[in-house]
Formats: sequence, structure tokens, C-alpha cells
Amino acid sequence: MKYGALVFLSAFLALAASWGGLILAPQIQVGRGQQETNAVNSAELYPQARPGLARQGLSVYRANGCADCHTQQVRQTGSQCDVVLVDAGTNAEALAEALMKANVGISKASAAGLAVGLPKPILRRVPANLAKSTVSAIQSVGAKGKVEIVALGPDIARSWGPRRNVAADYLFDDPVLLGSQRIGPDLANVGLRLPDPTWHLRHLYEPRSEVKGSLMPPYRFLFERRKTGPHPSSEALQLSGKLAPPAGWEIVPRPEALALVAYLRSLRSDTPLFEAPMSSSAPAQTNAPAR
Amino acid sequence: MTASESTASSPVAPVSDADSLNASCRWPLLVLFISAAGWAVLASFFQLIASIKFHSPDFLADSPWTTYGRVHDAAGSALLYGFGIQAGLGIALRICTGTATLPAARQWIVTFGATLWNLGVLVGIVGILGGDNTGYENLQLPHYAAMLLFVGYLLAGVTIVFTLHGRRQPCLSSPQWFVLAAMFWFAWIFTTATWLLLLSTVRGVEQSVIDWWYSGNLTVVWLGLVGLGTGLYFLEESRDAAGTRDYRPLFVFWTLILFGSWTGIPSGAPVPVWMPTLSMIATLALAVPLLTIAVTVYGGQPGLRGNSNSRAGSRFIQFALAAWVAATALKVISALPEAASRIDFTWFMTAQAELNTYGFYAMMMFGGIYWIVPQVTGMEWPLRKAVGVHFWLAAAGVLLIVLPLAIGGVAQGMKLNHASIPFIDVTAATLPYLRVSTMGDVLIFIGHLLFLSNLLAVTVRVVRAWGMPRYRSVMMEPSAGEVEP
Amino acid sequence: MNSDPVQDILTAGDSREPQSRSIAVPIWLIVLMVLLLYWGAVYFDQNGGWFSAKVYSPYRSLQEVESFQFRAGAGDVFELGRMVYNKPTCVACHQASGQGNPGQFPPLAASEWVNEPEPGRMIRLVLNGLQGPITVKGQSFNNSMVAWNMLSDQEIAAVITYVRQNKEWGNNAPAVTPAQVKSVREKIVKAHPAPFNPDELMKISPAE
Repeated sequence: MKYGALVFLSAFLALAASWGGLILAPQIQVGRGQQETNAVNSAELYPQARPGLARQGLSVYRANGCADCHTQQVRQTGSQCDVVLVDAGTNAEALAEALMKANVGISKASAAGLAVGLPKPILRRVPANLAKSTVSAIQSVGAKGKVEIVALGPDIARSWGPRRNVAADYLFDDPVLLGSQRIGPDLANVGLRLPDPTWHLRHLYEPRSEVKGSLMPPYRFLFERRKTGPHPSSEALQLSGKLAPPAGWEIVPRPEALALVAYLRSLRSDTPLFEAPMSSSAPAQTNAPAR
Repeated sequence: MTASESTASSPVAPVSDADSLNASCRWPLLVLFISAAGWAVLASFFQLIASIKFHSPDFLADSPWTTYGRVHDAAGSALLYGFGIQAGLGIALRICTGTATLPAARQWIVTFGATLWNLGVLVGIVGILGGDNTGYENLQLPHYAAMLLFVGYLLAGVTIVFTLHGRRQPCLSSPQWFVLAAMFWFAWIFTTATWLLLLSTVRGVEQSVIDWWYSGNLTVVWLGLVGLGTGLYFLEESRDAAGTRDYRPLFVFWTLILFGSWTGIPSGAPVPVWMPTLSMIATLALAVPLLTIAVTVYGGQPGLRGNSNSRAGSRFIQFALAAWVAATALKVISALPEAASRIDFTWFMTAQAELNTYGFYAMMMFGGIYWIVPQVTGMEWPLRKAVGVHFWLAAAGVLLIVLPLAIGGVAQGMKLNHASIPFIDVTAATLPYLRVSTMGDVLIFIGHLLFLSNLLAVTVRVVRAWGMPRYRSVMMEPSAGEVEP
Repeated sequence: MNSDPVQDILTAGDSREPQSRSIAVPIWLIVLMVLLLYWGAVYFDQNGGWFSAKVYSPYRSLQEVESFQFRAGAGDVFELGRMVYNKPTCVACHQASGQGNPGQFPPLAASEWVNEPEPGRMIRLVLNGLQGPITVKGQSFNNSMVAWNMLSDQEIAAVITYVRQNKEWGNNAPAVTPAQVKSVREKIVKAHPAPFNPDELMKISPAE
């Protein structure tokens, strides 16, 4: 290739193509073009912006490089359905017949047992279409059934979240810190898993006091050690053993620590959405911090 | 000219056309390379601190300036921006200068650009340690530093592109295409990323998409273009057949920029599935430039001529080319869905990134610098043995980092996929591998110190050789009473 | 000064002489590239969701995501109704137990207004609200109820069904379909836009 202009042009076209495909198109879909969405089965808008203290906490999270060790994205490897019998209706035999026709493992003899222990699952881990047809069969004989969606995947099995994270979960965050390393556990739903602010404060001050063998560095600079006044402060950390400060002193969280804890407690993405269906037996949740 | 001042190994003033063009880019190159070496030392120092924190979490944990997150971000930024891009600019300048003479004005512009770049990195690193890190991977320098970097890059990059205008042949050699495209590439991706992430921030997960796009283009395309361009430059210089037209580098160029620019979006990301799918296909297609380079380098072409005595740096370049093949192969494999589910978010990704950034690119830069500086200064490396020692330290360091982290990462990923294994056990199992990688960090740090010492020693000699005759000619005015020989 | 020999060395690879030999890209590499891209296209067709903004892995197409939507039409009317009731729309006044507030808000549990076999009156008062004295289960109330015509036919049908079939509250009346809500809405949207008076309602046959 002889000419510099040709090199420049080929580089320009290649970069323009990838710019259009990976910057412009996503900006239309998940950036500016995306509005808040409705949660499934509810008129609530999702997501709700984080309250002020939690948003400041996101700034503390960013400034200390927490995203270097923690991710905030739950993944999912599959979805299946459970069929739950809610009400056996008045005709247990007809129900048993309908279920047998729908290939649920029920014998005529166990028809009487159907009405016991409701609500109970009668089909587990089946594809969505089969679940739908089974529920229709149940309703056609006057009984009531419902479908529960089961999300599959190791992240979900670890109770890191009830469903995968999608673009809507991050709409109002700035910056969006998804993380790329799991040196520490995933934090996408840590507000649901660990709602206790005292746990978080102690964990930040000395991680090994709450999690034995943790590699997380202590963030003692987020706390202040000061002389106890006439009464101990209500915010002082309760520490024991080697960690406890000498008599007459107390450890009090700084505003940064409180903001960071508020942010962590606001981390939850358990709202059923169109693109991430999950079991709708729980009422729709908002993104507000758990109290 | 005072012949008595010339030492055995250094002509003190240009005596031929070749020497004059060599010397014309001497000063900007030395500035760029010494700054790069200094940042390399600092980067590996920070990386060492970060690495030690895994074995002793309380190490330097009391100050926010030395907390793990900030130190780790500072190390990565110093290596990539302080060392990597500056060294690349220097080598690009040499490749593009080729047979042309660099006018004095342009030397000053490049030097000024390098100074701005260094200022930007300095301000940025201080900002990161102070808590202004942006949170975006590979783009941690705060916006005020990014703007300084951009101006510095513009000055240096545009000058480098314009030196191609002064060339005497209409044909661009293949390293020159690579480097020319790279100059343009970085300008665009850096502008896009800085504008859309730091200055006029986009909304929502689009931030992550842009960050991934920028990382992919920087690490796969830009480092690939400059590194492979450097490798091809040395291959061509030592090829026996002077009249050969090789179309394979052209093919590598096209496929690298076409496919490499679409990589970056990880599978399982919280974005609509078409984006990770496109990235996956593009990453698998990187097998094509990978195999082409493998064929070009190892397929019956004469290797690098000359022994390491006269060609300092050739071992680095051979290592770097092999490392690129290995790193890209790992990247291609890690894109397969079955593999991705096992190694996502583990140390394996760090190992692959380290192999690409350090094992390939940094080693290529070292090789290039060790080769080029004697050419442009006319002097051999003062600490001759240190070059060999640096190579062995760096090679051992890279292997000690990459191999354990890769193996440990795969083990970690398989454990993470079993929810019955508590997370704390998964983390504890990675510790032995981390210990080995810390040793690698130590070796790399020492190697950098040797590199910097060599560069400083050469510069001192060059300055002395350049300055002494002028000093003496000023001091030895005939009116001062000395007798002219 | 003649520097041609030096320049020749430095420009190895660029030639001023006629080409003596050229090395082409191996053909198998080009074939491999074509095969890879073809495989990629097929993979994208099956797993790429065709650029839809709503398809996330593990789902592979919009149809697959749709199949996991179990909305009211799929048999979850009762749950949808419960959700609409608790939004909070009805629960604020009538309480989660359906008991209301004595003297202020009438109860829905075991209420004769709820358990009418035909739902016409109930649909009307949910759509347009209620104003004026009303007697429920022997107690009289004189408050005003907000109009809920901004809810969709489906949501209104669901919440009325939820109330009417709530066994815990002691209600056992037939369900209501969205079509019924729609037909009532069409009847009253022009004819009677204001909140209903309970006396008026008593005069309308519930079967309408």
C-alpha cells in the first residue's frame, strides 16, 4: 500500500463502523434513548433514582476503587418455570384428570391429596409453554394455579440476586461501575442480602471482624477516632478485643462512611421487568433503600 | 571540530548524511524514552504495593492515598499512559522519520508535546491517588489530566504523521502503515471516550459500553498496531531478500483493525445480547490476524539477524511476538461461550491482559528502545550486561505473573460456578497463585530500575559528548591566548 | 557525501528495483476467515436477538422473552388484582383486610355491594367514583370515592375480580372480564362523567 491517504481512509472506515455499531447504536438503545420502564404487572416506573446520601456514597465507592474487586452485575444462564397449585377448586377428580392429560405425574388415587397443603408446586423446572398450558388446564376445571419463574445460574444460586441485571437497573447511576473482577462478592443486591448498617460499618472498619479470612483492606480512614464526650456517641462503633479503642476514646464513622453504607444498602435489583422476568409472587419493589 | 574530544565509541558531530538524520530525532526520542522509563519504574512500584496488599491487607492501609483501589488504578494508568503510549510515540517517530531529517522545529514540538503528556500523567496520577479516579477501566485519569494528555498527543502525533510527508520514497513500508493508522486511532478513541465519559457523560450502562469499546480498541487495536508495527520493522530490517513484496502484513493490518475494533463487550454483560454476541464473533475472528502473524514470523522467514551483543533488544522482540500470539490465542479462547462462563471475572482475565500489555507490548517497547537508541545516538549501551539481565528478569517476571494467575483464574472460575463452595473459600484458594505473582512483580520492578539506569547513563554520555566540544569551543576563543593547533 | 549504501540498508523492504518475489496470504487463511464469518452470522441469527433492546442472554429472541411473560391473560388475574389493589390504590382507604374504616370508608369484606351477582354497579363506582351517603352492611357512610377511570380495563377487571373472589374476606362472587368493564365504560363515558350517587346506582340494574 503506497499512499498514506489510503491507510488513513481504511482506518477511518473501520473505526467509523465500530463507532456506529458499538457507540451510536447502544446510545440509542440503552443510553439517551432509554426511558424508565414499567415494572411488570405494575404501573410503577423503574428505576427510581437513588436518594441523595446514597448518591454521595456512589462517589465514595468510585473514589476508593471498590470496583476493582467487586462486580455489580448478576448473570443468568437460563429460565424455567414451576407450576404452583393455589386452589384445588371443588372438583378434585376433574382436576386430577386435567393434570394427567397435561402429563403431570398424578395418579387418580392421589386426587384427594391434591387439596392438601396448598399452595404447593406440582410441576418443577419445565419450559414456559408447558407451564402455560398446565395452568390453563387447571383453570378450565375451576381451580387456580400460577406459574413461578425460576432463574438459573451460579450467581443466582449464590443468592446474589433473584434475576440477571439489565440496562434499566443502571439508568440513573453516575458513574456506572460494573466491575470486572470478583475478588470480593458481587454487590448488585447487597442491600437485600445485608441490610444492617452496623454490619457494613464494622466490615468497612475491619473486614476480618465480620468475615474471617477476608482479603479486603480495612478502610479505617473513613472513620474518626475521638475522645468520648460526657456520653458515648450513638454512632460509635461497638468494637471488642484488639479492635476496640482505648478507654475514653470512640470510633465514629465519618460522613463518607455513612454515605457509602447508604449506597450499599440501596443496591437492589429485584423488580420483575419485561426483559428480565422473575417470579411475580412478590409485589413490585422500588429502588429505595431498605429501611 | 576538536578531534581530541571524540571517544572511541561516539562520533561527536554529524559527519555523514546517515548520521545527521539519525541525530535529528535524538533529543525528542531520549526525552520520550527516559520519561517512559521513569513511569515504568513508578508503575511497577505501585503494582508491587498493590500486590503486597493481598498477602497483608493492613499494609499501608491507613491512608486513603495508599488504599488498594487507588494504588492499583495508579499503577495501571502509569504503565499504560506514562510508559506505554510514550514509548510507542517514540518508536513511531523513529519508524516514520525513516530516511527523512527531522527539522529542529519539529523536534521542539515533539519534545513539548512529550512534556505536556508527562505533565498530564503526573497530574492524573496525583489525582487518582487523591480520589479523583474516574472508575472507568483503562481510563482512570481524571478529566483535567485527560485534556493535557490530549493536547500533548496531538502535538506529537501530528508531527509524526507529517514526517511521513518528508519521506523520499512514495511507498510506505508496512510498519509505517501500522504506525500511521495508530496515530489516528488513538486520537479518535481517546476523544470519544474522554468526551462521552468524562466531560459530557452519557446515561446509564452506555458508559460501560463506551468504556469497553475504548479498552478493546486500546489494548487490542492500538497496542497491536504499534507493537506489531515495531516487530515488523525489525523483521524487515533484518530480512535478507531486499526485493520481496510481502502481502501478509497488509492482511494483518486489515483484519486487525476490522475485527479488533469490535471486541471488548464481555459476555453476560447487562446489555442487550446482540452487543456481546458481536464482540464474541469479532474476538473469534482475531484468530485470522493471529495465524497470519504466526505464519509470517515463524513460517520460514529468517529470524532476527545478529547476536544479542550487537543487536541489543532482539531477544525482547522475539519474546514479545511470541507473547502476542499467546495473548491473542488466550483472548480468542476466552471468547467461546463455554470458556467465558468459567473465566469471567477471574484472575484469568487479568493474566491475559497482563500478557498482552506487558508480555507483548512492554517487551516490544523495551526491545525497540534498546535497538533504536544506539542507532540514533551512535553510542552503545554503557551497562552492557544490564540489558541481558533486564531481559531475563522481565521474561521471568512476566511468566511468574501470567502463568499462576491464568491457572488460578480457571480454578477460581470453576469454583465460582458451584454455589455450594462458599465465596471465602474461593478467594482463599487463589492466594498461593497470588504469592507467586507478587514475586513476578518484584522481578519486573528491578528490571525497570536497570532499564532506567541504562537510559540515564546513555543520556549522560550523549549530553557530555554533545556539550563538551561546544563548551570547549566557547572556552577556547583565539582571543583568550590559546594557540590554535 | 555518498550515503546510498547506508540508505539502502535503512530502506530494506522498500525497493526501487523491479519486484523479484512476492509472498501472498496463504489461501487457507482466507478460507478460514470466510468460514469464521459465516459461522458468526449463523450464530448471531440464532442467539443474537436480532438487535432487539429487550432481549438479554439467556434469552435468544423476543419470542422467547414473550413466552415468559405471565400477565393477567395467562391466568394470574387474582394476583394482578391484588397488585392493583395494593399499589396503593384501594388499600389506602379500604385497608389490606378489606375492612375499611368505621365511619369513614365502607368495608369490602362480605359487603352486599360487592357480592351482587352482576357487576354493573361495582364497575360503575370504580370507574367514576362515588359521592353521597351509602349504606353498607347496615352502617352508613358519607364520603367521596375517587374515580379510577385512569386504570386500564384489564386492571379494573382484575381488581374487581380480586375483591369479589377474595375468600379470606368472605366474598364469593363471579369474576369480571375486561370486556364487561369496557362495555360499561363506553356506556357512561359520555352519559355520566361525574361520580355516581349511591341512590342513582340503586336505580340502575346491575346487569347493565
